[in-house]
Amino acid sequence: MQNSTIQAAPLLEAVELTKVYEDGVKALNNLNLVVREGEIYAMLGGNGAGKTTTINAFLDFIQPTSGKALINGIDANALPLEAKKHVAFVSENVQLYPNFTAMQNLDFFVRLGGKSHYERLDYERALHRVGLQSEAFDRKLKDFSKGMRQKCGIAIAILKDAPAILLDEPTSGLDPKAGKEFTRLVAELRDEGKAILMSTHDIFRAKEIADYVGILNNGELVAEKTKAELEGVNLEELYVEYMAGYMDEAPVSGSLSNNLS
Amino acid sequence: MFSLLLQKELKNIITSPKFTATFLVCSLLILISVFIGINEYENAVAQYQANQEIARQNIAEATSWGRVRNLLHREPNPVQIFVSGVHFDVGRLSNISDYNDVKLVRSPYSDETLFAIFRVIDFAFIVQIVLSLFAILFTYDAINGEREQGTLKLAFANSISRAKYLIAKFSGIWLGLIVPLLIPILLGMLMLIAFKVPLASTDWLSIISLVGLSVLYISLFIVIGILVSAITRSSSLSFLLLLVIWISGVLIVPRLGVMAAGQIVQVESVAQIEAKQEAFQKARWDDYSAELTEVWQEREAQMEGMSDEERTAYRDEMEWTWLEEDDASRKQVQSDIITNNRRLLEESQNRKKLQEQLAFNIARISPVASFQLAAMKLAGTDVGLKNRYETSMRLYKDDFSEYIQQKEAEEGGHGGFNISIDSEQGVQIDFGRNDQTLDTSEMPQYQSPELRLQDTVGAALFDFGFLGVCIVLGFGGSVLAFMRYDLR
Ligand SMILES: Nc1ncnc2c1ncn2[C@@H]1O[C@H](COP(=O)(O)OP(=O)(O)OP(=O)(O)O)[C@@H](O)[C@H]1O
Ligand SMILES: [Mg+2]
Repeated sequence: MQNSTIQAAPLLEAVELTKVYEDGVKALNNLNLVVREGEIYAMLGGNGAGKTTTINAFLDFIQPTSGKALINGIDANALPLEAKKHVAFVSENVQLYPNFTAMQNLDFFVRLGGKSHYERLDYERALHRVGLQSEAFDRKLKDFSKGMRQKCGIAIAILKDAPAILLDEPTSGLDPKAGKEFTRLVAELRDEGKAILMSTHDIFRAKEIADYVGILNNGELVAEKTKAELEGVNLEELYVEYMAGYMDEAPVSGSLSNNLS
Repeated sequence: MFSLLLQKELKNIITSPKFTATFLVCSLLILISVFIGINEYENAVAQYQANQEIARQNIAEATSWGRVRNLLHREPNPVQIFVSGVHFDVGRLSNISDYNDVKLVRSPYSDETLFAIFRVIDFAFIVQIVLSLFAILFTYDAINGEREQGTLKLAFANSISRAKYLIAKFSGIWLGLIVPLLIPILLGMLMLIAFKVPLASTDWLSIISLVGLSVLYISLFIVIGILVSAITRSSSLSFLLLLVIWISGVLIVPRLGVMAAGQIVQVESVAQIEAKQEAFQKARWDDYSAELTEVWQEREAQMEGMSDEERTAYRDEMEWTWLEEDDASRKQVQSDIITNNRRLLEESQNRKKLQEQLAFNIARISPVASFQLAAMKLAGTDVGLKNRYETSMRLYKDDFSEYIQQKEAEEGGHGGFNISIDSEQGVQIDFGRNDQTLDTSEMPQYQSPELRLQDTVGAALFDFGFLGVCIVLGFGGSVLAFMRYDLR
């Protein structure tokens, strides 16, 4: 972003996004972030930092107090039906219809996403890609483990084939192997040109694949680093440093707060 | 998109484990209820016919017109198979004679008290109690269940309008519950044909309207279920709430309504009215005898100063006139008494009607009462059943009495009997014409009150409309609630 003037239009963009819940909790404070085509943006932050709130704002699940969440330039809260055509979503705890098989769930949600041309083979391919065993395809979801459900959710997002993808702690519940496969998958999607905004607690994976890493604390973006900036930096130390800094209410030093234009 | 959502809803209901079990139970109950209903109806018809035979024999055996009595029986109505209503509570028989007023006695339940404990299971009961619960069971988590499941978020990560989603949800649940229920209902109707229940076209119309009414009623509970699930976050809370709504709507409010109306509009009991009638009767006869004494005194006064021969001659001359005068005033007394009786009855009936109207309207706070009232109207087993029969029997009684009096006049006899005491033959009671049977071919025949379409379907229209309005309001409410529903 900072080195090129000819850039693709942002697919996901938060503009001074602020959310104060009814009970007075300020979950987001003037959040600005941009994710373009072919980029992965990883949001780090402790519990309650505001990661899910950010993603919910993009999905119009919450109405921002002020500011905007734009998908492909469309205000997600003003024109949610239009905006959501361009985004796919995997929640931190994917739960599907327990009485339907993986295939049936996939079919329903993918069609709901507006893609009705797929055939069984396409679904099988997607499920293979996310690493679900073939014998599970026609089993009812109620017998699935959390990780298996997560994989189905990811397959749904892939099949929706939207230019922007929102992932809320997508690797939660995945075993290490599946987590690794998933990381590779997200990188593949990025390489296909998707704009991916993901929240995660996994600092190492974030560093491994993210083009941008943002650190959220109490609803504020306290740091944003590019992949290049993180080269050779111990992200974990950086992260703890920021969190500690904020908790002590110490002023954030200029060198650390690297705000981007 | 709509059909996709609708299909999913349908599939979700039909594949849910609770569906098969509840559907089978409901179907079985419906079929059993129709079967029992047909049996009860056939019993009632058999009793009706036996009674008509008894009445015919009684008349045939009568030896004098004064002793002809008729016994009328309430005619069973085949639609009562579906809605027994007050059929089991209202008497079946009434004597028709000059000595007592028309009064339906011996209700099925008074004859067989055992069955009065828990009452019968009829189609209306199953719809009212079981199917409403069935509807709640499949809707209490319609919205909040999807939220808890996380599927609501996943669905709305796509470009779907909430209104469309809710309409599809309602349609899907509606089809998923109503269509399967129509199967046992249709089978029940086939059973009517198989058992050769005599159904007129108006009866069929009533039955079809009843099915329509039931569909409306179940739809209302579907809507209520969706509404509550759209205003609550957790399905356990909505289930609890719906249970409270169901209990008060089905079991409490209708009863309270009737009880409240009973307190607000007081209606005298039948015994109280009868006491009043008797008091009037006694007073009137007392008046009459006082009058008679006066009349005789007057007559004596007219004869004052006459010689014995003159008196006898005067008496002989006046005898017939006096007899006629006395007879006329006696008849006047009788007619006064009848008029008063009917007036009292009418007054109490009017008050009763007022009370009923009030009771129904308070009870209608719960649409359940609306369903029950309309169902009973459709089946002709409504609260008016007793009155309808008693009124038509009273009209018949007038014709009947007139006929008998005319016959008595034709015969010239008083219709009573003569008791003569003879030293040789002892006491002899002469009933008049005891050797010949009476020719009763021209005796008026009783016709059961006819149920016109406006009394059944017409009378139920209000409740159809009321249920419809409740559904629209409920659905509008759910759309509003869902528009602002927090999907997370
Ligand atoms: N509906 C709500 N009403 C009030 N406060 C809320 C609501 N939802 C979230 N919050 C608050 O907003 C803040 C941000 O929550 P959010 O769920 O975005 O955190 P998060 O970064 O996703 O955390 P985690 O890592 O635990 O998922 C928290 O303080 C939370 O308590
Ligand atoms: Mg979260």
